[in-house]
Amino acid sequence: MTATARLPSPELRRPRTVLVGTLFASAAAAMVYFGVLALYVSRRAEARALGVEWFPEGVVELGPSGWIFWTLIMSSFTVQWAVQAIQNEDRPNAYVALGLTMLFGAAVFNQMWFILNDTGFSLDGTEAQFLFFVLNGTFIAFLILAMAFLLLTVLRAMFGQYSPRQNDGVPAAAMFWHTVATMYWITWIAVYVTK
Amino acid sequence: MTMTESPPSEAAESTEPEAAVPGTGLYDALTTSDHKAIGRIWLRVGLLLLTGVAVLGVPVALEATSADSVDVFGGANAAWQMNGLYNVALVLLVVPALTIGLATIVVPMQVGSSNIAFPRAAAAAAWGFVVGAAIMVVSVFAGGGWGALDGVRGEEADAIELTLLGMGMVAASILLACICLATTVVSLRTPGMGLMKTPLFAWSILVSASVWILTLPVLIANLIIIVVDLRGGPLVFGNPEASTMIYDQVHWILEQPAVFVLGIPVLGIIGSVVPVVAGTRHVAHAGLMAAIGAAGLLAVGGWSQPAFSDQRDELLFVAFGLLAVVPVLASLGLNSLTLAKAGVPAGLPPAQLLGALGAGLLLLLATGAGALRVIAPLDLIGTDADAAVGRLVAFAALVGLAAGMWFWASKIGGHALSNAAGLGVVLDFIGAGVLMGAAHLLIGFDFDSGLNETMAWIVFVGAILAVLGAVGVVASVVSARRSGTDPGDDPWHGHTLEWATSTPVPPGNFVGALARVTSEAPLLDAAEQGSSDEEGASS
Repeated sequence: MTATARLPSPELRRPRTVLVGTLFASAAAAMVYFGVLALYVSRRAEARALGVEWFPEGVVELGPSGWIFWTLIMSSFTVQWAVQAIQNEDRPNAYVALGLTMLFGAAVFNQMWFILNDTGFSLDGTEAQFLFFVLNGTFIAFLILAMAFLLLTVLRAMFGQYSPRQNDGVPAAAMFWHTVATMYWITWIAVYVTK
Repeated sequence: MTMTESPPSEAAESTEPEAAVPGTGLYDALTTSDHKAIGRIWLRVGLLLLTGVAVLGVPVALEATSADSVDVFGGANAAWQMNGLYNVALVLLVVPALTIGLATIVVPMQVGSSNIAFPRAAAAAAWGFVVGAAIMVVSVFAGGGWGALDGVRGEEADAIELTLLGMGMVAASILLACICLATTVVSLRTPGMGLMKTPLFAWSILVSASVWILTLPVLIANLIIIVVDLRGGPLVFGNPEASTMIYDQVHWILEQPAVFVLGIPVLGIIGSVVPVVAGTRHVAHAGLMAAIGAAGLLAVGGWSQPAFSDQRDELLFVAFGLLAVVPVLASLGLNSLTLAKAGVPAGLPPAQLLGALGAGLLLLLATGAGALRVIAPLDLIGTDADAAVGRLVAFAALVGLAAGMWFWASKIGGHALSNAAGLGVVLDFIGAGVLMGAAHLLIGFDFDSGLNETMAWIVFVGAILAVLGAVGVVASVVSARRSGTDPGDDPWHGHTLEWATSTPVPPGNFVGALARVTSEAPLLDAAEQGSSDEEGASS
C-alpha cells in the first residue's frame, strides 16, 4: 500500500459522453417543441390581429394547468435529489427520488389528459383547437420519453451500474427531465396564462 | 506512426484476430458499430443519391427551358413534383449523406478517438436515413410529393403523407448522426486537445452539427403539424388541395439562411487541405475557427420560415443575408495567407487543393448571391434567385466534399484516388455550380424573356456537367478499389491525427495510446521535433 500511495494518481479521463449526448438531444427536443409552440403563437397573433376570437372565454382554465406547473416544479427538485443521492452513493434516497419523479410525471400525464377532455376541443375543429391538441400532444410525447429515460435510469441504478465516480446516466436523465419541464413552464405562460 | 507510444507490431499482435478483419457482407453492414463502416454506408448511399439526383436534374432543367414546347414529365404537376424532389433531394439527401459519411469516418480519427460516440445510434441513423430516403423518393414517384398543382386524387393524399414521413425520417436520422458527431468532438478528444486545438474539419462538423440540431427539429415540428393536419385536422397547414401549400410550409429549409449550413463543412475541408498542401501551419488557426463559428451562427434558420416572418421586410433576415459573406471571405483570406506564406506548389495542383479553393469560391458566390437576394429593391425573393443560392451552396458543398474524399481517400477506403480524375470531377462540379447558379440568378432578375430562355439552356448544360461529375466520382472510387493502389499511411504528410494511423485503418483506429497533443497540428509538431533532434545530434 505504501508503494502505491506514493505513485501519482492517473489522469482522470471521463468523457461524459452520455451527458453531452443528452445535452444535444435535449436541445433538439426543445427545438421540436418550441417549433410547434412558435407556430401556435404566431397563428394566434395573426388571428388576434384580424379580430378573430382564438378560444371562447372560459374554456381553457388556468387551474388544472397551474397544477401541472407546480407538479413539474416539485419533480425538478426530486430529480435533482436523485442526482445528489447517486453521487453520494446513497441508493435508497436515489430510488425514492426517482420513484417520486416518476409519480409526478404520471400525475402530469393524468392532468394533461384531463385538460384535453375538459376543454371539449376536437382535432378537426378550429385552427386554435387543432394547434392546442398538437402542442399538448407533442408535450405528452416528450413527457413519455422523459419518463422512459427515467425508468431506464432506475433499472440501471438497481442493477448497480452507477457509482459516485461514474453516474452520467442519472444527471443525463435529470437534464432531459428539466428540459421537458421547461417546455411546459413556457407553454403555461404562452398558452394558458396569455390565452 | 510517430504519435503512438507502442510500435504497430506489438499492438497488432495484441489485437484479437476476429476483430481485425472487418466483414463485408450485409449482416456485417447491418450490425457494425465501427465508425468507418458506418461512414462508408453513408458515403455509398450518398453517391447513389448523387448519381440519381444529378440524372434527374437533366430532364428537370430541360423541362424548364421552354414550358410550352417541351413536356418531359407529361404534365405541369409531374414537372413541379420532380422539380421539388430535385431541390429537396439535393439539399436534404445528397449533401448531408456525403458530409455525414466523410465526417463519420474522419472526425473520430482527427480527434484521436477509437470510435464515434454512440456507435449503435450512429448506425441506426445511417439505416434510418436509407429507409427514409427510399420512402421519400418512391412516394414522390407514386403520386406523393409536397402537394399537387392539379388537385389531389384518390390515393395521392396517402402518398403525400408518405413523402412527409420519409422526409421526417431523413431529418431525424441526420439529427441523430449530428448528435453522435457533435458528442464525439466535444467528449472524445484525445488528452491535450483543447477545443481551440481541434482540427478545423472536426470543428466545422461540430459547428454544422450544432446548427442542424437547432434547425432540423423546427422542420420536424412543421412536418408533425402538417401530418396531423392531414390525418384529421382542419387542413389549415397540410391542405394538399391548396396546390403548393405543403411545399411552401417546408421550403425554408432549402433557402438561406438555413441552406448555408451545407457550406460550413466546406470551410473545414479547406482549412484541413490548405496547410497540408502548403506544408506549413495556418497563419491564424483561431481566426479560422472564429470564421467557421460565425458562419454557423449565420446559418441558423428555423426562425426565417414564412410562417414566422415576412422575409422581405425582416431586418434580421436582411442582416443575416448580408453578413453571411463576411466569414466566408475571412476564411478564404486566411487560407490564402497560409498558401502565400509557403508558396503554391509548382506543377499540376492536387485535386484536393483545386477542389478546396473552388469550393471556397463557389461558397463566396453563394453568399454573394444571398446578399443580393435580401436587398428589397431588387425584388429577388420568390424568384429563381432562391434556386441560385441553393444550387451554389449545394455545389460548393459537393466540390468541397469531392476535395475531402480525394484528400482522405486512403483513410476512407484504403486506396488512393486518381488525381487526374479528381481534377476532372472538381472542374465538372465547379462548372455545374457556376452555370446553374449564375443562370438562375439572371433569370431571377427577369431582364428579358429571350435572355431567360438562354439562361434556362445554360442551367441544362450545368445539369449535364453535374451528371459527368457524379459519374466521375463513382468511376474513380470503383477504379481505385479495382486497382488497389497502396497510398501509404500518410501520403500527404498530414498534420492531424488521422494521418498517424496505418492504412487501411485498423479497428480502434490507433494501436497503443496516443501521446499528449500540444497543438492543432500534432504530426507537424512531431516532424519539427524530429528535425530539431537530428540537427542537435549532428551538431
